[in-house]
Parts: sequence; C-alpha cells; structure tokens
Amino acid sequence: MRNGFLTSISPPLPCPASTIGAMILLLTPFQGYCGKPEAVGEVDFNRDIRPVLANKCMACHGPDENEREADLNLLSEESAKRDRDGYAVIKPGDSGSSELLKRILTDDPDLKMPPPELGKPLSSEEIGLLKRWIDSGAIWAKHWAYVRPVRKEPPRAEMPDWNRNFIDRFLYAKMREHDLHPSPKADRVTLIRRLYFDLIGLPPTPADVDAFLADSSDDAYEKLYNRLLGSSHFGEQMAAYWLDLVRYADTVGYHGDQDHNISPYRDWVINAFNSNMKFDQFTREQLAGDLLPNPTIQQKIASGYNRVLQTTHEGGLQPKEYLAIYAADRMRNLSAVWMGATLGCAQCHNHKYDPYTMKDFYSMQAFFADLDEAQHFKVGGNSLPTNRPPELAVWNPEDRKQYQRMQEKLAELNRQLHKHEEMAAQQSAAPTKTGALPNSDEKLSNKGKPQQRSKSDHLKDALSKQIKSLKSKSDALLKKQRKSMISVAIKPRIIRVLPRGNWLDESGEIVSPAIPAFMGKLETGERRPTRLDLANWLVDAKQGAGLLTARVLMNRLWYLMFGRGLADLADFGGQGTPPTHPELLDRLAIEFVDSGWDVKQMIRLLVSSQAYQQQSLVSEEVRKLDPQNMWYARQSRYRLPAESIRDNALAISGLLVEDVGGPSIRPYQPTGYYRHLNFPKRVYHHDQDSRQWRRGVYVHWQRQFLHPMLKAFDAPSREECTAQRPRSNTPLAALVLLNDPTFLEAARAFASRIMTEAGEDFDARLDFAFRVALSRSPDRFEKKLFRRNYERQFEYYRNHPEQAKKLQTVGISPVPKELGQTELATWTQLARILLNLNETTTRN
Amino acid sequence: MKSWNDMEMMLKRRTFLTRSGLGFGAAALYSLMQQQQSAQANANTGRIPGLPGLPHFPPRVKRVIFLCMAGGPSHLETFDYKPKLNELDGKPMPESFTAGQPIAQLQGKELKVQGHLTKFRASGKSGTLISDFMPWHQKMADDICVIKSMQTEQINHDPAHTFMNTGSAISGRPSMGAWITYGLGVDTDELPGFVVMTSVGGRNPQPIASRQWGTGFLPSRYQGVEFNSNGDPVNYVRPPGGITNAQQREVIDAIRQLNEHRLRKVHNPEIETRIAAYEMAFKMQSSVPELVDLSNEPKHILEMYGAKPGDGSFASNCLLARRLAERGVRFIHLYHRGWDHHGGLVKYMNICCGLTDKPTWALLTDLKQRGMLDDTLIIWGGEFGRTPMSQSKGGAGRDHHIKGFSMWMAGGGIKGGTTYGNTDELGYNAVEKPVHIRDLHATMLHMLGIDESRLSVRVQGLDMKLTGVEPSHVLEEILG
Repeated sequence: MRNGFLTSISPPLPCPASTIGAMILLLTPFQGYCGKPEAVGEVDFNRDIRPVLANKCMACHGPDENEREADLNLLSEESAKRDRDGYAVIKPGDSGSSELLKRILTDDPDLKMPPPELGKPLSSEEIGLLKRWIDSGAIWAKHWAYVRPVRKEPPRAEMPDWNRNFIDRFLYAKMREHDLHPSPKADRVTLIRRLYFDLIGLPPTPADVDAFLADSSDDAYEKLYNRLLGSSHFGEQMAAYWLDLVRYADTVGYHGDQDHNISPYRDWVINAFNSNMKFDQFTREQLAGDLLPNPTIQQKIASGYNRVLQTTHEGGLQPKEYLAIYAADRMRNLSAVWMGATLGCAQCHNHKYDPYTMKDFYSMQAFFADLDEAQHFKVGGNSLPTNRPPELAVWNPEDRKQYQRMQEKLAELNRQLHKHEEMAAQQSAAPTKTGALPNSDEKLSNKGKPQQRSKSDHLKDALSKQIKSLKSKSDALLKKQRKSMISVAIKPRIIRVLPRGNWLDESGEIVSPAIPAFMGKLETGERRPTRLDLANWLVDAKQGAGLLTARVLMNRLWYLMFGRGLADLADFGGQGTPPTHPELLDRLAIEFVDSGWDVKQMIRLLVSSQAYQQQSLVSEEVRKLDPQNMWYARQSRYRLPAESIRDNALAISGLLVEDVGGPSIRPYQPTGYYRHLNFPKRVYHHDQDSRQWRRGVYVHWQRQFLHPMLKAFDAPSREECTAQRPRSNTPLAALVLLNDPTFLEAARAFASRIMTEAGEDFDARLDFAFRVALSRSPDRFEKKLFRRNYERQFEYYRNHPEQAKKLQTVGISPVPKELGQTELATWTQLARILLNLNETTTRN
Repeated sequence: MKSWNDMEMMLKRRTFLTRSGLGFGAAALYSLMQQQQSAQANANTGRIPGLPGLPHFPPRVKRVIFLCMAGGPSHLETFDYKPKLNELDGKPMPESFTAGQPIAQLQGKELKVQGHLTKFRASGKSGTLISDFMPWHQKMADDICVIKSMQTEQINHDPAHTFMNTGSAISGRPSMGAWITYGLGVDTDELPGFVVMTSVGGRNPQPIASRQWGTGFLPSRYQGVEFNSNGDPVNYVRPPGGITNAQQREVIDAIRQLNEHRLRKVHNPEIETRIAAYEMAFKMQSSVPELVDLSNEPKHILEMYGAKPGDGSFASNCLLARRLAERGVRFIHLYHRGWDHHGGLVKYMNICCGLTDKPTWALLTDLKQRGMLDDTLIIWGGEFGRTPMSQSKGGAGRDHHIKGFSMWMAGGGIKGGTTYGNTDELGYNAVEKPVHIRDLHATMLHMLGIDESRLSVRVQGLDMKLTGVEPSHVLEEILG
C-alpha cells in the first residue's frame, strides 16, 4: 500500500528554485485557456488556487469526511495551515517547508501527490501558481460564490463612450489588461437584427429595418429595445430559456412517456416575463404559489414548477424508490436553477468540492415533503394525457371571461324562462280552481286561450332555443379548459438521510426542512419551515441567499445577451469556472436586487452598454489573443437556438402565426418517429390548421423523442436542467433545413411572397428576398449566383412540370393559383438557398 | 475548465487555422489539438476525428455490434441451467434469497420457485449449456463467451436501459456509442459513426427512449443516428417531392458558394464546419439509401439471415448491421423488443427466439466468413434478467431481476466456447466473479483500445466516465 498524504513524516525534500523558474518560463500567455493569469502578477486564491486544489486534491482531501485522507481538508484554511507535530501542509510565506509542495515535487512514487495512478498530474503552471501563492503568504479567501457581493466602482475608461455604463467600464479595464481594445460599434442593420433575435427571437421586417435606419433621433436605439421589451414575443423568447432550466416538457419522461397536463404553466412563464413580474415574486409563485395567502389561479398554475419533473407509473415500480428519485431530481433542479449549485452530488456522500453535506441534501428535500405527488403511482394510467393529480382545470383569461359572461347570460335567460313558465302556469292553473279534471282542463285551456297560448309558446320556444344554443357554446368553451398539474400541500412525509443514497436503507437520520447548514438557519420558531420560507430565503438579499440567486440569474441574462456567461452557467461551486469579471458580476447582482428584481430593467442595462453594441467581426490578431471572447472586445457570433431557427424561417415566409399561449402544437414530423413509444402506442397527427405555423416555444415537447428538428439544433430533452445549450453544426441539422417539410413549405410560402410582393422583375424580387431574409440587399457576386441558379432551375421545372407540381404538395398551406407553377418552383428553390445560409441562421 | 461550447469552438478553430494556412504555429496554441494528425483530412471531408492519443493501446476490435434484447430475457431459459431450480419447482422461494431485496411486480406477492421452462443442451465442442429455445445459438456455442454473473442496479425497464447504455440511471449522460465515437472518431465520411435500429415483432414491445443513444453532455455530433425500417431510412435524408438529387446538389453548391463568400467577409470558422456538414448531408442522401437497399445481396445471404428487404425485422437489421460494419460505422446498436415475459414465457420465448436466434447466428457467421469477426465485438443481452420466482400473468412467467443474469460476448479474440462467472444454485445472485455493468463497459472499451479511466469529460466539476465513479474491471480472463 502506498502512503497516504501526510501519514508519514518524510525528510524535507529539496526544492530547487531553478526548476520552478524553468517551469514558469515554459508558460506562454496562451497556455491553457485565458482565464489563467500571466506568469507574473498577483495570485488570487479563488481564481487561481481553488480550482487547482478542487480538481486535483479535494477528491481525497476535501470536505467529505468519509472519503477524507490524512485528516486534511483543503477547503478549510485551518486544516491546511495547522501545525501537525512540527510541520504544516501549507506554511504561509515558505513554500520550501510546506508539505504540499514537497509532496507534489518529490520523485518518490510512494509519496508523490496527487498519486500518479489517479492520472491527474499537476501541470508545471499549476505548481508555479501554488508556489507563488504560498510564498506570497497563502492568503485564503472564501469561495467567491459564497462571499457577499460588494459594490465596487470600476475604473474610468479612457474612451468617453465607455464611461457611461459600469458594465463598459469594468469590461474596458479587463480588455486593457489583456492588450485588447473595444471593437467599433456595429452598423445599424446588425444592431437591429441582434436586438430582435436576442429580445424576441424573431427577425426584423424590412419595414422595421427601414424605420430604424431612418430614425435619426438620439434615442433611436433606446426606443427600439424598449419597444421590443414591450412585445409579447419577449416573454416567449425568455420563456424558451427558462423552460430549459426548469426542464419543462409535455410528457412524463419515463417508460411510456405519456403526455401530462402542464402547458398552462408554460403560458404562465411567458406572461410573467411579459408583465415583468419581479424575479423574487416569480420565484415564490413557482416554488410555493399554492402556499401564498389566498392564492390566485395563476399562482396555483405557477406552482406546477414542482410537478414538471419526470415521473412514472411503470408496472412494478417501487413507490419509495421513485419518491426518492423525484426528491433527488427536484434537488438537482432547484439547486441548479436558483443557486448555481450541484447539490445532486450530495445524494450519496457529502459534496466533494463544495460545503454541502448529505444532510443538507435531504434537509432541503424535506421542504418538498408536503407535495401531494404519489397518487399517480396508482391512478397514472396509459391514457393520453395520463393522470397526474392534483391538477387544476384552467382557461386562458379571455375564455374565462367569456365563459363567465355566458354563465351570467344563461342565468338571466333561465330566470326569464322560469318567470315565463311561472306566469304561464299561473294562467293555465286558474281554471283548475273550478275543480275540473286536469285532462279536461287541459282541453279547456287549450281551447279557451288559443291566442295567448301561441304567443306564450313562441316566447318560451325562443328562450329555450337561445338557452340551448348558448349552453352548447358554453360547453364547447368548457372543453377548451386545459388541465395543469399544481402543487397541493398534504401532511409532509418523513424524510430520512438515505445512506449512500440507498432508498432501501431506512437507518438514516430523520431530517426537517433546512437550508444548507453553512448558509445559516431559517428562523421560523416552532413552525415547520415551508416551501414558501425556502422561496423567501432564496430571494432575501439581506438575510438569505438573495445575492447568490441574483448572481446566478444575472450570469444567465448576460449569457443570453453576450453568448457566454461571466462565470460557469451551471456550477457556481468549487468546480465551476470562476467569473472572468467578478466585480462586474457582483455589481450586476446588487443592481438587480436594488432594482427590485426587475428583469426588463437589467436587460435594458445590458443592451444599452457599448459592449453589447460592438461589432462581432474579429481580426486574426484579436482572435489569437482571445479566441473565446472571454474579454468581450467584440460581440459574439453564434447560431440561433433551435426554436429561433424555426421561427425565423416561418417569419421570413410570412407563415408565422403570432398567437401567444395555448396548448402545445404539433408540427410535421417524420412518419413513425414515435414507433418506439408504447403504453399506449403513439400515432402522431400533425396540426391541420394554422397552429402548424406557431412558434417553436409551443412545440409539443416529447421528452423521449423530442421533435427531430428541435433535437438536431441542440434543444435539450428537458430531463434535467439545461443552463447552456451546445451549438453544434451537424449533417443532421443540414438535412433538417434542407428537407424538413416545415422548411420546404416555408420556402414555398416565401417564394409566393416574393412573387406577389416584389413585382415582376428578377432583380427587384431578389432584392426583396434578401431584405426579408437578411435585412440587406445582395451584392454583385450574390446577384450573379442567384441569376445563374434561377436560370438553371427554371429550365428544369419548365421541362418537368410534374416536379414543379409535386413541390406544391408539401405542407398544408394553400398555393395561390394565379402564380405560375414554373416560376413558383424556381423561386422555391432560391428561397431554400436563402433559408439554408449560415448568415440567415446566425446571430451576430 | 472549458465548457463544451468552448471545446467545440476550439475544434472548429483548429480546423480553420490548419486550413487557412496560418500554419502550425498558431494551431499549436491549442495543446489539446496538437496530436490530431488527421485534422486536415477532416476539414475537407467532414469526417469526425477521434481524440488525440486514442486509442490508448492497440485495439483488438474496430467496432461494436450491440444486440440489445430489450425487456430482459430470462437467463434461466437461455444460458443459466440450475438443477436445483427444477427440484424446488412450485415450492416457496427460500427467504434467505429475497429478504430486503428490491422486487418489481412481485411486491407483496407470495414468492414461489419456478423451475426451468425448457431443456438445456450441451452445445458445440465446448459443451456450453444453451437452452432449446435457441437452437441456432447452440450451433455457435464455440464462438461465444457467456457471462453468467451479470449484475445491474435498476429494476425497472426505462432506468435499467439508461443504466446499461450510459452507466447511470440519471438522464443526461452520454451513451456507450457516443462515448466511443467521441473517443475514436468515425472511419467514414458518408455515414454516421453510431447507428441504432429497432426491429418489429415480438410481444407488446417495451418503449425505448432516444436518450438510450443520446450524447448527454458530449457534442451532438456523437449522437446515435436512428435508421428507420419504414419511411425515410434516416429522418429527412431524402429531398422532398419535386426535387431531384441533381437539383439538391445545385442548391447545396449554391449554399456552399454563398457561405464561402460570407466566410471571406467575416472569417467565421463556424462557416467552414457548416460547409463540411452540408457535404456530408449530401453524401448521406445517396449513401444511406444505397446502404439500406438489400437488393444486391445474394439470395443465399438473405436466406441465411431470413431477411426480407424492407420488412423491418431483426433479421434484416442484422444484415444491415453487417453492411454498416463494412462501411466503417463504429457502433451499431440493434434493439429487439418484446422480452418482458411476466407471463406466457414459453409462448413469448418461442416468438422472440424465433425472430432473433437465427439472424444472430447468421450475423456472427457472416462476419466470421468475411474475416470481420476478428475486429468486431458482438455483445448480446438485455437490461436485466428474470426472477427464479414465478409470476403468472397468463401462463408461467418471471419478474424483473437484477442480481444475476447472463449476457454473451464474441469476436475480437474473445475466448469462444467459454463461460465466465456464475450465479448461486437458484440463479438468483451472481456469486462467482460478479460482473457489474461498468465492468462490461470497461471490457468493451478495452477491446477498442481505450483505458476506461482515461476517457473522461469534466462536467460540473466531475470527471464523468462511462464507467462511473466506482472502480471497474476489465474481464481479462475472457480476452484471447
């Protein structure tokens, strides 16, 4: 057996300074990635040292007591620096006598750390950093994410434009540190396209572009983003991202992957962003909307957040196992979404790198122990949708109003009818007083008042008819109700720490709801803390985790506007990439809280910065200095997200239907794509009406078989939290853009738009097409190329009218009869070229 | 730590630099990429490169064909013969086996032993015991190594598949095929490196989620591509009606020229990748239909497999698997569903084996005849086994069982005609040389020249591996 770290006392090892020197000389400014500092300069514990210790040492010398070797916890300053009978792991100011360095530098394989067989050797750069850090005093710092943000004033920038906004000043200072300069401001066409794609996920129309170009007022840009922030599409765009985080989907995910009822929650998210619901309230309503005083229907819908996780009713499931799976799933999601934490790591053992304990993991679960969520184990059923009680039947607001109006009207009509019947009854009842037999009386009355009867019948009939018609309308409206899974609190079930995460082991300690111990304690007195207490704590910037939450969200809003995060988007823990601009992130978090958690206000701040408005072009020289654009000396350039790829094509084609909210929609999909689904077998029917052209955010999200178009463009299955989608560029994605009927239909609709809206002339038509698709006119090269293609395609379709005709059969949108078939087919092909261009699908 | 987007960007960047003539000096900044000798070729063809330094050692096989018998075939009616089981038939299952153990549909039921529902036969020269449900397997007994001591951790189908395929029951991890193509790249520029096919027929089939061939946190280019038995062989691989291949070519050429034109203006390396992606997309438009067209296979081959072109059967898929293997596909995953025999086990075993037994033999034999079995690893098995206890939902059957079951491996020099490990006298627990799923994974990677401990990706601070965090073992004994 090898010796563990510090288990034996070894003689001090020589530490030749020349070796270290040589190591440092080997470094180039581009070693590794640019987050690393230069070879000289201040070493920062959080930026430079903690990641090394976390990656290379803490698996055995970290916060997890059960796995800890040699009683050394490198997360703890005390543990690292304390005297261990004459030596210390870290001796501030003296790397030569620090056991850490000795053990790293020794050649003795039995003593060497990290143990060679782990295959995690330290790089020479890392060793250099550790040495310099120890020699300069081994100054410890709490992990950045758990240090309270401090409002710092950024240095002034030399460029006046870059002095107006603290974002620019912070960025400018860092750029200069890295020998970079801001890029010039992007041209207006680029700016308007960028703003449209970032804020509403749709392209500007040529008229939008012209208006912006023509607006010479000083606040033209400001007016533009304010207008977009007021658009109902803003909420759709933001929701698409939020739904990735909370893993929203239309199906249960496990086994039969049946549909479940949740789309009203999606609409609630969209509306919340549109109405600029403050983020603290947004948090409360999702985690505990049902626990708010007199919760509204909307707040109950919001509490569906707790129910969107994957569930199952597979035969032979063991309820306790799945309750444990659900609870763990919920912890992974909650901690990722609000805290940027990987609490899931503490399911089986204390977190290896962050101060979360196993007890924290289960205590946090206990907040959700009140959820009524086990019913479906018994009543789930293989229907579409399946049952996932408790659910709430809801309407969209207009339908609800209309239904209420109908009910009032119905009541009124019934009153009238009733009154009328009473009157009629009184009148007809009068002769009975004479004591005649009812039968004869009827006859009598029939004969006696023929005129009155007829008028009365007439009125009665009319009323009944009205009632019947209204009733059927109201019933039809009732069917438009959608169900939505909601949170309902019942008696909390007992939550135990599960040893090694094993649900069969019931020997663990019973825990009550509690926030992670190192972050403090909720003061609720005798009262059992609730989900609402947890939500309040998450957004309490004074006593709670509010500033952490604020940093997590601001980092993500930053990513949406700049294409990358200031820090790791998924993990703010010891293993995540620390922020490139910590002071800026702190300041954004503070401003966010000070704004009253105003999301639109923060986006305004981001897009009004000079940094946001820069060009995304980059010279080779700058690309070499900062290949990943970590220092923001340019804007970023990247492929649109999956939903925008779809929405963009539909908008260009003119097919896009801009309705907001409603049940999920079903685009064309390859035959048999659901063939592997069962319980029940699935037959996919694409929508046969205008729902076909609604936005991507509404597409039916089948967890096990996400629509192949969305999947090809990296939309996640939403089984787990996704804070950052990959941006791949694959042949399968190319095949989608080329051959998916949605895109072919869009190309044909675009072609007919070109032919009807741009006159007869080829150049005018091409110009129109370019302006719609790319917000610019074609250049000479492009004109020539399209002309040549036009001629060849036209020739082909003139000789093959049957092919031109076939092209018209794709999709359900009608083809205008007056358009020439050959010409339409030809322009369809040209439109396909445009829709497939890199430029069309790139945000820059 | 780099995010995947950064990684992707660097990959693209590398390609860009080498192609745009900026020379090795610039490219050398990215130590990760330095050893990538095939970068130049890749940029031109769109072929997916492997990681530098892989394989770690000389591989025994180039590819894997994984025959997944979804639903969980009974080890007690295929490869695991236990005389004691017949002895105790109908008697209560000794509680010493089942106390405190996870149980699926038999929760709360009386547990009785179910004797073997078939006979076993000593097969081949080796005398390997194989059940009479599988006469064609009996013929190839000397080519396969039966692992009788498999264990898994998940007792329900969906998570058990996820566990088998990704090494974790938590969704979002890359599947085996994704890991392997990520590590080793792809030897074809006309087909995806990881292909999945599911056959028709059998009992009410288990659902299979696409996460079983997903990429998880690996870039999506490594995801398994599903080949369909009806409709387009690959989604969207055919141009829609009214567009011929020649016209599609013209459209793609125009797209390329315009993208190149754009590239000259904005120098965005992403555009290069895009151009390559369109080239491969176009190649797939002809290579995929050519691949699935079995009309040029000789009659005796079709008969050997029992394949009828276009029928979507396991037989046809086995033949397609051979064709895929010939064309450089790295990981071929065939699913046959319908092995979930809670009841009517005899009837459904006859059906499932009737559909899969001969084609499996044909695939192995065909590869062997062509000399391809030497560099192909075949793995056969389900996501778990079945209980020694009886369940009878419409005739005798068995419930899900995870503590001991059988799988087999063949090819690449794996010692044929052998068995490895064993279960106890009732076929309940793997007691002799237990093989966990991660050991199976480690062995498979080893055959491909990959050291499982060195194929990892850092995600949220953890070095994620197919084999997970617990130590895994290569089954050295079975390697030739």
